[in-house]
Amino acid sequence: METKKQFKFFTIFEHEKEQDYLREMNKNGWKFVKVSGFGTYHFEKCTPEDVVYQLDYNKEGLEHKEEYIQMFSDCGWEHLQEYAGYSYFRKPAAEMNGEEEIFCDEASRFQMMERVMKGRILPLFIIFTCVLLPQLIMNIFSFHNYLVSAFIGGIVALYVIVFAICAKKYFEYKDRLNK
Amino acid sequence: MDQHIKKVYVPMTETAFYILMCLRKANHGYGVVQMVEKMTDGKIRLAPGTMYGSLSKMEKDKVIKFVREEDKRKIYEITELGNEILQLELQRIERLYRIAQEEI
Repeated sequence: METKKQFKFFTIFEHEKEQDYLREMNKNGWKFVKVSGFGTYHFEKCTPEDVVYQLDYNKEGLEHKEEYIQMFSDCGWEHLQEYAGYSYFRKPAAEMNGEEEIFCDEASRFQMMERVMKGRILPLFIIFTCVLLPQLIMNIFSFHNYLVSAFIGGIVALYVIVFAICAKKYFEYKDRLNK
Repeated sequence: MDQHIKKVYVPMTETAFYILMCLRKANHGYGVVQMVEKMTDGKIRLAPGTMYGSLSKMEKDKVIKFVREEDKRKIYEITELGNEILQLELQRIERLYRIAQEEI
């Protein structure tokens, strides 16, 4: 069977883009097989079909995996895999009455975003405030070790950029949900 | 009654409302989805991600409780607190409806 790989990078809160990408590929005759590594998407050739792809982020669900997946398969969603805490599901559009998603109200979409925040951003933020910042301050003011300070400073700057991007994405996403 | 729970659930989302309504009799999540679809002539189809998140949140808030597991499906039932909340919500909706009728 003909297969192909594509490298794609989606940042946090871009799971909707990722869903659209997988749906588009399926429409063009490339069925999603799996995602691995740092964003390598594997596909196999298929007859073009409109299939809706959806991502959920739910740690509690993964801890009760059987029961979690059962709920989705009862509703006609095929579970594909887990990747970086996300669960991948798909359902052919032909089996739906109109558009269907795995979330049906804004409250639950927002709750998923909060779970992503908690699961992915919070750990980074804790490392940042408990390790990096104290290290930077100690190196500058106590050890006067400016080479190390510059190095840690660089990492701190990188973190700040990442947080800023996340905050921006968060508010953009929130705005979209409120429309 | 817990004031915080009251604040969160009155008013509540349509999903939470249907869950409480249906769980007056013990049932699993998909059972609720099917009941709601039937009750609304297919107009409202609750989605699994929403259901899963809502059920576990509502269990934590103690408005529903876990009864047992059957074929990998968790069966839940409304609690006394859940019933009180549902009554408050019904009163609120009834008031809205009554006002609307009087105005027209």
